[in-house]
Amino acid sequence: MSAIIEARELEKSFRVKGKSKTVEAVRGVTLSVSEGEIYAFLGPNGAGKTTFQRMLTTLLPIDGGTAIIAGFDMKRKPGEVRKHIGYVSQIGGADLPATGRENLLLAGQLYGMKRRDVEQKIHELTGLLEIDELLDRIVRTYSGGQKRRLEIALGILHEPEILFMDEPTTGLDPQNRANLWAHIKALKERGMTVFLTTHYLDEADELADRLAIIDYGQIVTEGAPKELKKQISGDVIQLRLKNGGALPQELLSGLDFVNETRTDGETVILYVGDGAKALPIIFDLLKKRSLEAEAVSLLQPSLDDVFLKQTGRSLRDTGKGESK
Amino acid sequence: MSVFKETMLFFKRKVMETVRQPMWLFMGLSTPLIYIVLFAPLLKNMGYPPRTTVEVLDSFVPGLLTLLAFGSGMGAGWTMIWELQSGVIERLRVTPASRFSMLMGGVLRDVLMFIIPSVLVIAICSFLGFHVHFAGLLVLLLLLCLLTAIISAWSASLGLIFKEVGGLAAVVTGLQLPLTLLSGVLLPLSLGPDWLRAIAHANPLYYTVEASRVLADGIISSAETINAFAVMIPLTILVLAWATRVYRKAVA
Repeated sequence: MSAIIEARELEKSFRVKGKSKTVEAVRGVTLSVSEGEIYAFLGPNGAGKTTFQRMLTTLLPIDGGTAIIAGFDMKRKPGEVRKHIGYVSQIGGADLPATGRENLLLAGQLYGMKRRDVEQKIHELTGLLEIDELLDRIVRTYSGGQKRRLEIALGILHEPEILFMDEPTTGLDPQNRANLWAHIKALKERGMTVFLTTHYLDEADELADRLAIIDYGQIVTEGAPKELKKQISGDVIQLRLKNGGALPQELLSGLDFVNETRTDGETVILYVGDGAKALPIIFDLLKKRSLEAEAVSLLQPSLDDVFLKQTGRSLRDTGKGESK
Repeated sequence: MSVFKETMLFFKRKVMETVRQPMWLFMGLSTPLIYIVLFAPLLKNMGYPPRTTVEVLDSFVPGLLTLLAFGSGMGAGWTMIWELQSGVIERLRVTPASRFSMLMGGVLRDVLMFIIPSVLVIAICSFLGFHVHFAGLLVLLLLLCLLTAIISAWSASLGLIFKEVGGLAAVVTGLQLPLTLLSGVLLPLSLGPDWLRAIAHANPLYYTVEASRVLADGIISSAETINAFAVMIPLTILVLAWATRVYRKAVA
């Protein structure tokens, strides 16, 4: 399959308001996305995901590097690029005082589609996204999930080759998230390439054919979710002691089946070869030292473990830190 | 797609938005009516002998229309900031639509929203005795449409540049008072000292107000009218070109 997005050493920095220093939001990102793929950009808030995507969607001028989208050079032919892409931003951008149908009609006509074709397309898409019954209502009265689905319809009405989505399920309840995931997968079935940013591990895991983990404006690692998780061989044991006591370091270093240990707050994370065999041994050791475990869990490696391994931080924690 | 067709699509979108907000129409009409009811009587007793209502209306209505033209364009920046925050602008900027037509959709709506209340004000005042010189008023409305377009494009662009209401409000409302005072729209500049009148000549609004009085009297070809169009036509082109550039570059 041929590459439909080719970014080479993309860079972007912003001047901080009122100060002379600049912030490098994207620091040399190189990636290539194949036709028909769902590609996820996973990282904590402020990692540069949105900035990167805004460069690819012609919304932000590129400081350094090159990007070829659907065969067109971003810098020289932004107008051509716009014809071939759709974009659903995080805040959405549906016209609230207008009806869903008016929104869609305008969007289609702006791409030069004939009114009759637009109407046909609206009929088809809104059936698919299950918003056909809301079409003549003012968008302001839509629920969060309904509005998001309308905005996706707005992004794909003109049948773009690539759909860019920024944090597509932020602010949606679990049921609506699962529903939207199904819709995004259906788009892939129709042959569309989807590039999405997310800070949700499960979202990237569920949707992405391939993903890049981004931190501080750089790609830390890239690959299919399965491959990435294979970097973490074996199983993961999470252990918390009663009264929040720390696990003695020498206790763990004596265990040859523990590949790596980390602490995440009061929880100790052990990466082991075979969790089922390791657990009884660990329990025995704890008993000998008269330590009591409050909670123990045996898990398959997750993308968070990959993130932790690559950056030394947990994605869940960085997310919390940012929102404070 | 042609720029004209695109502009009409954006214009339609803006008009629909306005139609669904009848409050705007009400506000658009209430300001001129308040001027007529509360300000015109003050003018009656200015100078000696006191003037009749008809005399006051004949001299004040053209100024009132100018104020209305100015005010009709001013709100564009606020709408712009709201649309920036709700992501509408960003969504439209990803489409291949020309930036000029995006700008003009809003500008034309504001022009329409100037014309409708103006015609109503003229109709109301004609009942009160205002002398309607049809051709003169038509040319005046044309001139004032340019003013609305300039203010609208200017305000919308400032909205794009500032991105938040604070900065926009400071500049737009901050400039509104000196611009209107130095145009002679509220009180004639002939009352002021030479230096004041000298500064007024640098204010494009001054030429519009001068022409508005002459045109409302029914005199179409005059030095004032020619001066006003000579200032306003190039200014319109300049401001629209600048605003399109802002739209093109805008980074939200």
